Amino acid sequence: MIHIIYISRAVRPLSDQDLQLLLDQCRRDNAQHNVTGVLFYSHGNIAQLIEGEAEVLEPLFEKISRDGRHSNVMKLVDKPINIRSFSEWSMAFHPLEPAGFEQLQGFLLPNRVPPVPSSLTIADATLIDLVRLAVFGADAAATSVLPQA
Amino acid sequence: MREQQLKDILRHMPAGVATLQGPELRYGFVNEAMQEVLGASVTEGFPITECPGTLPADLLEVMQEVYRRGQPYVAKAYRLALSSEGDEPGRPRYFDIALEPVREGGGEEVTGLLLFAVDVTGQEEARQRTHELAIETRRLDTRLRVLTETVPQITFTVDAKGNYEYVSPQWYYFTGQPPTADLNAMWPLLIHPDDRLRILYQTDAARTAGIGWSYEYRLRRHDGQYRWVLSRALPELHAPDKPVFWHGALTEVHDQRELAEALRRGEAELRFLADSIPELIWTATAEGFVDYYNQYSEEYSGLLSKDLGPTGWINLLHPSEQANAARRWVHSIATGESYEGLFRMRRHDERFRWHIIRARQLTDARGLRWFGACTDVDDQHRLREVLQTQYDELARTNRDLDTFVYTASHDLKQPLFNLRGLFDELRRSASFDDPQESQILTMVDEALRQLDLTLQDLAATVQDQRGLSAPTESLDLRNVADEVLLGLRAQVLESQAEIELDFEAAPTLTYGRANLRSVLHNLLSNALKFSHPGRPPHIKVQSNLSDTNQPILTVHDNGLGMELPDMPTPVFQPFTRQHPHVAGAGVGIYLVQRIITSRGGHLEVTSTVGQGTAFSVYWFDA
Repeated sequence: MIHIIYISRAVRPLSDQDLQLLLDQCRRDNAQHNVTGVLFYSHGNIAQLIEGEAEVLEPLFEKISRDGRHSNVMKLVDKPINIRSFSEWSMAFHPLEPAGFEQLQGFLLPNRVPPVPSSLTIADATLIDLVRLAVFGADAAATSVLPQA
Repeated sequence: MREQQLKDILRHMPAGVATLQGPELRYGFVNEAMQEVLGASVTEGFPITECPGTLPADLLEVMQEVYRRGQPYVAKAYRLALSSEGDEPGRPRYFDIALEPVREGGGEEVTGLLLFAVDVTGQEEARQRTHELAIETRRLDTRLRVLTETVPQITFTVDAKGNYEYVSPQWYYFTGQPPTADLNAMWPLLIHPDDRLRILYQTDAARTAGIGWSYEYRLRRHDGQYRWVLSRALPELHAPDKPVFWHGALTEVHDQRELAEALRRGEAELRFLADSIPELIWTATAEGFVDYYNQYSEEYSGLLSKDLGPTGWINLLHPSEQANAARRWVHSIATGESYEGLFRMRRHDERFRWHIIRARQLTDARGLRWFGACTDVDDQHRLREVLQTQYDELARTNRDLDTFVYTASHDLKQPLFNLRGLFDELRRSASFDDPQESQILTMVDEALRQLDLTLQDLAATVQDQRGLSAPTESLDLRNVADEVLLGLRAQVLESQAEIELDFEAAPTLTYGRANLRSVLHNLLSNALKFSHPGRPPHIKVQSNLSDTNQPILTVHDNGLGMELPDMPTPVFQPFTRQHPHVAGAGVGIYLVQRIITSRGGHLEVTSTVGQGTAFSVYWFDA
């Protein structure tokens, strides 16, 4: 099993509807291929962690990096892991109209992202925190996913 | 019969046919097509001048001329304003009009004219369109030429054989070649010898493959200098796979290239420098992802840069320090504050060595980046630890001895006083027979006085040595506190204590300098020493004025706290220790209390176990 973390820029800002479509589509596809992880989106900034079998993730990332809806895809980490740190695939973003989103399966408000489990090294947890910071801005620093001392 | 047939054919012919008879040119036979051309219904036998229809005057004159001279005449694409249905003027129609003199019976005499009118409107319109197109093409051509000759680039066209078909005048300005220069011969010679073969080869290859090209080379300028130019060209295809020409432009990129080269060189030099320093050096993006580790980082960790990864340095830290270091890094990235910390870093041989990790943010035209360095302070750290331990040991022993002497001299005063009283009583009540014995009494008196003096001297010596009895002066509390904190720097750094000094309400104090230092040192070092293991110490030092305008100093910490018995001032007996696991002789606060009381003040304490302690120094009791 491996996990991949990347950041990218959306070619144009995604609307609430775009985001909901993306959430539905990815959740279905990812559940089918046993891919778990989390996607952060804000103001055109995208970051995603995906975990799964290498033979699934490698072509998936290949497909993601060719997707015309975003550009400047920068892969930060691609390495073997022993166990999954996420039980499902979810998305965290600020909808313009939050009503209705809260009930959606797999949707998270950016300040509600739970701390990562200890199965993730602190270096990787830090990377997720930095990625969150890069996507959501300095406000995200207040709700670190790093384990508390 | 045949004549009738002929007439029918003529009548229905698509071209207009008419005969005009006699010098008055009277209408004879007029077929349908001609009727249409002439417009008004012409009647046989009428002279043409009386019923000209659409024929303009000049044509009528020509007809008469033809009749007189007997020479045929053809007017090509002659414009006739045909009246159309209704009153609006129709579009102009064009006819080839042929006038043929008729000689009856083969004689010389002209007896009439044959008039043919063939509609050539379509052809004429096509011709006019072609003409307009040609004008437009010339206009576009001119525009293109002006443009290509105005832009700073040199533009060119190469044919399929590789010969230059066109080059804009800029080429001549740039190279200084005369307009008569043979382009195909000169151009390759002007390319820098080191680039020539490569360029000729690449051009040939692109031409053979039928694709465009884009490359840079040095071209000799009129002043003999070689300047970097960028050559880009695209093929003009006449069939999907048949390029006929290559059109392109040459842009001077010398300055950009020099600049980029200088940057590359500068960066390479800096990188070389960074790689040569025996310290772990790295850079990170604005987002906090490390994008460069110097060579020494790889040597030290035994890992390659790509294995270290964007946050891999955290993996090198001691496991107990990783979370703390990571949180502070995220904090620095979020706020832009510089990063500094003392951490143990794992070497390739699994040994941990102490490092000071520092990182600072750089903002310039190229955006925001972080530069970091990890300095090995392990040897210094260990040495300092040993020295510190020894120093603490010595200082403590010293203090304890002083205190012991001070206390002993003080405590011996009472028995001495008692002894003197007893002897006085003895002298008063007992009588001595031997005069020598009263002399002994005097000697005892003398010895007791001596002992008293010695004890006083002893106490005074200790006080003097420690500066405890020095005269008072006006002291700036912040200055003294800073001095004391400088002495405690190691402990402050190690415990990552946050120390808040607030002396605004009462910034100065009239006191003995050594005494103030001793009080501050003891209170601060205690607060650092008895910190809570679960959180870094947060110490607040405040100077205030009491209701009676007397200065008060409070030292508030968030440490272990202590249990206070109900008695008002019980903590401060020497050698009582609240936290046996923390090193110390247990005389610190006792001394503080003695100093304060000896100068007419008192010490108060409040504390909650597990939350913290607050000491209040009432310097002078009003």
